[in-house]
Amino acid sequence: MKRVLIIFANDLRRRLKSPLSILLMLAIPLVMTLVIGGVFGRSGKVEMTKIRLLVFDADRGLGGRFVRQGFEQGKLAEMFELVPVDSIDGFDLMAEGKASALLVIPRGFTNDLLDRRQTALKLIKNPSESFNPIIAEEAEPLKKTRSMLSADKWPALGDMQVLLDEAKIPFTQVEGYIGDSLVTLGSETAADTARAGGNAGSSGFNIFSYVMSGSLMLGLLFTSNIMLNDIVREKRAGTLARALCSPIGTGHVVAGKVLSVYAVTAIACLLLLVVGKFAFSMDLGDPAALAAHTAASILMCTGIMTLLFGIVRRERAADAIAPVVIIVLAMLGGSMLSFDMFGETMQRIGKFSPVYWANDGFKKIMVFGAGTSDISRNILVLAVIGLASLVPGALLLGTGFRKGG
Amino acid sequence: MIEVNGLRKYFGNVKAVDGLSFGVKEGEIFGFLGPNGAGKTTTISMLSGLLRPDAGTITIAGMEMSGGGGKARSIMGIVPQEIALYEELSGRENLHFWGSLYGLSGARLREETDRVLDMVELSDRADDPVGKYSGGMKRRINLCAGLIHRPQIILLDEPTLGIDPQARIRILDIVRKEAESGTTVIYTTHYLEEAESLCKRIAIIDQGRIHAEGTLAELVKLVGEEDIVTITGDFRADAFPALPEGTRIDRIADGTARLVVRDHGAVGSMLSGFFSSGLRVDTVAISEPNLQGVFLKLTGKELRD
Ligand SMILES: Nc1ncnc2c1ncn2[C@@H]1O[C@H](COP(=O)(O)OP(=O)(O)OP(=O)(O)O)[C@@H](O)[C@H]1O
Ligand SMILES: [Mg+2]
Repeated sequence: MKRVLIIFANDLRRRLKSPLSILLMLAIPLVMTLVIGGVFGRSGKVEMTKIRLLVFDADRGLGGRFVRQGFEQGKLAEMFELVPVDSIDGFDLMAEGKASALLVIPRGFTNDLLDRRQTALKLIKNPSESFNPIIAEEAEPLKKTRSMLSADKWPALGDMQVLLDEAKIPFTQVEGYIGDSLVTLGSETAADTARAGGNAGSSGFNIFSYVMSGSLMLGLLFTSNIMLNDIVREKRAGTLARALCSPIGTGHVVAGKVLSVYAVTAIACLLLLVVGKFAFSMDLGDPAALAAHTAASILMCTGIMTLLFGIVRRERAADAIAPVVIIVLAMLGGSMLSFDMFGETMQRIGKFSPVYWANDGFKKIMVFGAGTSDISRNILVLAVIGLASLVPGALLLGTGFRKGG
Repeated sequence: MIEVNGLRKYFGNVKAVDGLSFGVKEGEIFGFLGPNGAGKTTTISMLSGLLRPDAGTITIAGMEMSGGGGKARSIMGIVPQEIALYEELSGRENLHFWGSLYGLSGARLREETDRVLDMVELSDRADDPVGKYSGGMKRRINLCAGLIHRPQIILLDEPTLGIDPQARIRILDIVRKEAESGTTVIYTTHYLEEAESLCKRIAIIDQGRIHAEGTLAELVKLVGEEDIVTITGDFRADAFPALPEGTRIDRIADGTARLVVRDHGAVGSMLSGFFSSGLRVDTVAISEPNLQGVFLKLTGKELRD
């Protein structure tokens, strides 16, 4: 272990002496946050530009009220301004640019809900606005209702309770309709969405957090890339060969190097979050969740890049391939264009990018106030991908050291 | 101390090292003299455990290198041909790092660092980043990094490449002192004078093979004990005076002749032959046999300098 630490400490010291390249990489997410975030509001808080959501309630029943009232409380109330309309008015207002989206609660929604028939809420986005409608789609009551309705089983009693509580409708009123015998286990998505959000207790939606949660990984991937590139450069400079001649052993050298990649990427992440917090008053969410998710995301980042450099050993090839891989993974994962803007097919494809799982977790923590248990699946996916790529990557890197000299 | 047998390394169809065998005794300076691409660096890389040989065995202080040579590595110090230092770190920080890889730490590490810095006269610049050093200064730190842990064996790969004559003499002195204190040295170079003045035994290597090996005197014997005499003056090639016994013409043209002379004494009688025929002699140069001649004879090449 001491030998690993010697290599690790030396790499860290070298990086601290010439931090410029990494600081430049960190500029990517910061600039993205500043520019994209700035477009929506200088303070980062979007109170002044509440999202105007038109609601056309053709149902006028209990179910419609669930949904509407959900938007009128707590955190969501700070984000949305609900304007009841006729569907006709709605299109006009959107055309004039006065609203972001139109939510249509269909006729017979309540009856369908109570009769357990398939029904659907419709969200019509204002095509000229690219950002705000996405948040409307994300909104919890809407998502909850939708996922309950689309699940093949009747939602769990507990989930219903949450909705009903939110809608401030006494549970007793509908008790007659939902017998205990009907309660089966809620589907995964229903349980998932029921938990996310709500417990944030934070002061509203922060656009900077939203953008940063997506672009963070881009900076971190490039940071890991620089660190691994440095190893390739050390091969050429002969310092690696010199270290390998010493009694320290290849395994220790590789372990020390990989550890330093992880550590520097972690420092980079910390820097970004601290800058975000103080410069953009970003909401970072639950510290425990953030710490766990960050650790897993960086493991993924280090692992993917180590594997890449383990496979592609020649310096030129690595220089050319690594940025392309990063950009493709990041793009699919929603770091460039928000994942929420993807179509359904793209979203399905995007989930194959490990970056999605990182971005999604950061968004849930920083924007929707999720706790550790809410993002446990993200953490698990990231940790598995991280380890599954780091171990073979490090082994390949080691054999490369021994062969290439 | 070092035993090498049938060492071989091919890169594709380049026979970088093609069946080397040699032995080096404790406290000896063993020279590898060879032109570019002879296989010197490849040999050093295999000795240091960096490259795995295709065939052959290396034994360092009784330990086989084939199993990784963990213990053997710790008693060796390597000074690579290419300067292998971290440019962003200072000379001292570099030495601290390289020293710590060999198990030095704490006060001992600091002492040894000061010792080697002192040795190459770089104590006053030790805290500047290596990137700001001159080429010669980097070379000197490169040397220090191989000596800091007081190795029993030092492998030096052209350590004086591209530095001024003074610094070069200094480095040769350091190597000589190390050997005097019992350290075994392998020294590769393509400078004849370095090999001549420094090495107790020399191997002449070209195209991956040792063409001859021995002390300077032994090697020189290989080309015979004849001197080369070059005469310039006012004479014609076809009217050259008769030559004394044991002298023959190597090359001749009008006004210049190169002769091979077995014995210095013959030069005098040859000159009197010139004078008695009334021919003018401008210069006479006598060169004793040296490595240059040996090299030329064995490899058919001049060593470039
Ligand atoms: N990693 C490698 N891959 C392919 N060929 C190599 C490699 N290393 C050395 N060679 C080849 O092996 C031969 C011997 O090279 P080596 O570096 O050992 O020579 P050298 O005697 O050290 O030369 P120099 O005086 O120029 O340093 C050369 O023909 C070289 O091109
Ligand atoms: Mg060489």
